[in-house]
Amino acid sequence: MLPYPAVTNATGSAAAERLSVAGVDLEVVRRGAGRPILLLHGPQTVDPRARFLELLGTHAEIIAPSHPGFGRSPRPLDFETVYDLVHFYLEVLEALPHDKVTLLGLSFGGWLAAEIAVKCRHRLDALILVDAFGIKISDRETPDILDVFNTSPQEVRRRSWHDPGAWAPDFNALSDDELVVRARNWEALCLYGWHPYMYNPQLKRWLRHITVPTLVLWGAGDGVVTPSYGRAYSELIPGSRFELIERAGHHPEIEQAEAFVDAVVKFLNR
Amino acid sequence: MDAWWQCEVPYPFVPQEVLNAADSVRASLPNRYCDPKIAADLFEEVIDEFLLCDDLGLNVLAIEHHAGINSLLGANPLLVGILARQTRHVRILSLGTLVSLRQDPVRVAEEYATADVISRGRLEIGFVKSGGTEMASANANPVNNIERYWEAIDLIKKALSHQDGPFSWEGKHFTHRHVNIWPRPWQQPHPRMWSATGDPETAAEVGRRGMVHVLVLRGPEGTRRAYAAHRKARAEAGLPRVTTDNFAYAAFVYVGDTDEEGRRVGSKLLWFLHTSLKSAPQYSKFLPGAAPVSLANAEKGVASAGHNAARLQAITAEEATAQGIFFAGNPDTVYKQVMEFYDKVGGFGHLSLVGRSGFMTHAESEKGIRLFSKEVLPRLREIKPVTVD
Repeated sequence: MLPYPAVTNATGSAAAERLSVAGVDLEVVRRGAGRPILLLHGPQTVDPRARFLELLGTHAEIIAPSHPGFGRSPRPLDFETVYDLVHFYLEVLEALPHDKVTLLGLSFGGWLAAEIAVKCRHRLDALILVDAFGIKISDRETPDILDVFNTSPQEVRRRSWHDPGAWAPDFNALSDDELVVRARNWEALCLYGWHPYMYNPQLKRWLRHITVPTLVLWGAGDGVVTPSYGRAYSELIPGSRFELIERAGHHPEIEQAEAFVDAVVKFLNR
Repeated sequence: MDAWWQCEVPYPFVPQEVLNAADSVRASLPNRYCDPKIAADLFEEVIDEFLLCDDLGLNVLAIEHHAGINSLLGANPLLVGILARQTRHVRILSLGTLVSLRQDPVRVAEEYATADVISRGRLEIGFVKSGGTEMASANANPVNNIERYWEAIDLIKKALSHQDGPFSWEGKHFTHRHVNIWPRPWQQPHPRMWSATGDPETAAEVGRRGMVHVLVLRGPEGTRRAYAAHRKARAEAGLPRVTTDNFAYAAFVYVGDTDEEGRRVGSKLLWFLHTSLKSAPQYSKFLPGAAPVSLANAEKGVASAGHNAARLQAITAEEATAQGIFFAGNPDTVYKQVMEFYDKVGGFGHLSLVGRSGFMTHAESEKGIRLFSKEVLPRLREIKPVTVD
């Protein structure tokens, strides 16, 4: 695995803190105050400058760790699978000072969140899945989840964003440190999610064990995992709500930060 | 010095406009562009060329690559099996079944043991790390590829050499609870093993394991560094010094009657670099595990495979010769080029000839094989293994 660059404070206000759980050291972005939300990031770690953090932070205390192997969180050498991440986050839930938290998972982190919610009822008060990976819906010759590793970067870009020109990262404008972080994220995502590609064949069977109130949020223009996949996901979780966010692709929290936060807050205040 | 002839059985007959329009000529180019009748003719001719090598005493080498115009040899054990039976004299190097792409190394051991028996002990077993487009073609996770590589080699080695009934293997990447292959190999405890690698870290492990270390188209600097890493790792581990017989180098080689013919016909081999390396970014610079270029160079001390490929696609024949990856001319010239390279890298005991590529014809290929075998090989055989520090 790539080494991670030293913790820097390039943006002046965005220095990440550290969190240590069961001997595993994590980079963590913290923001806001209020009811606690454990935010599990997707293919990319959470950018401390992201607008949705500011908006959501006026309603909630956000705790956003970088998964082991991602960002500036080292990966223990025996961490190899989503199983390891899920059991690690169960430990994180026990270690946090809060009795209960809301679990919010984006994309790959949505897969982790769904797995955790199946196994843990007593530490969660709500679950929010956003354009989540994790299950297999279609037939064996129809992939549900875009193979981001074996598809041209231009096509991945096109299918990831409603408005790629406005939101897709410009790699040429990124610093060396940012590029190394992205390379670590890419490598860790591949290690954990390569096979079966971004889903657990058994998870679908157990989603009915999720008992906390659940919101399934989806970018209406997501071409990585489509809204119909999201609807099917939602139908497998008893009592869950499914909502679309218009003019957003795979990352509604970035492309439509206001609408995303509105939907989350409305759900939490229901 | 020993020499080994190889042909990757490339398929150059896809229309150029199709190749130009494709983002990759490997992994994703539809196989409708591969006419099986043409492929059959190619295999027929190339296997005849391997058999000519056998008649002339030139060892043969069978590679494996997947799903592209660069090579139709996706199933190395099949060619190795054919060569095991159809050749009668020379040694056969499989370089090799791409073990980190295979689900079951025990099956690979069975294939190798069978080929060794059929050939009555003429098999040598080489391992290649794979990478790039082959990760997609084989559904193989690129991030821990190197772990699977070494674990597969360990398991194959044990399966080939273990003679006391079933043993169990519960490794990190492979589990097989009841390993007991029949037949066991002809050569005891197992055929000699080779490994192809350029990066110093893997080179060190190849050294510690005492495998024959082969560098492919790396040029003098990268090759010398890799051989040095091999020797240094052995010294640091307190292992005995090795001879040049532990080192091998693979380059494009063509011998003509004259320098002009050797270079003109030999230049056809460079099709492999110019045309068959084209690879989409998701299979190269965006491949997970590939470090950002600046970091990769700083970390590894040598160009990454992807960077190496980009450089090679634009190379001219003159540059290729200057860089030590293309030895071509009349017999004297080729001998001189090989020995100049030998001196630059500190010596090696095996020359692998990357032969017949692109639009080189069967007749041209056979002529080159004959001239090399008769005019160059006897002189190379005079170069005896020497111990190197």
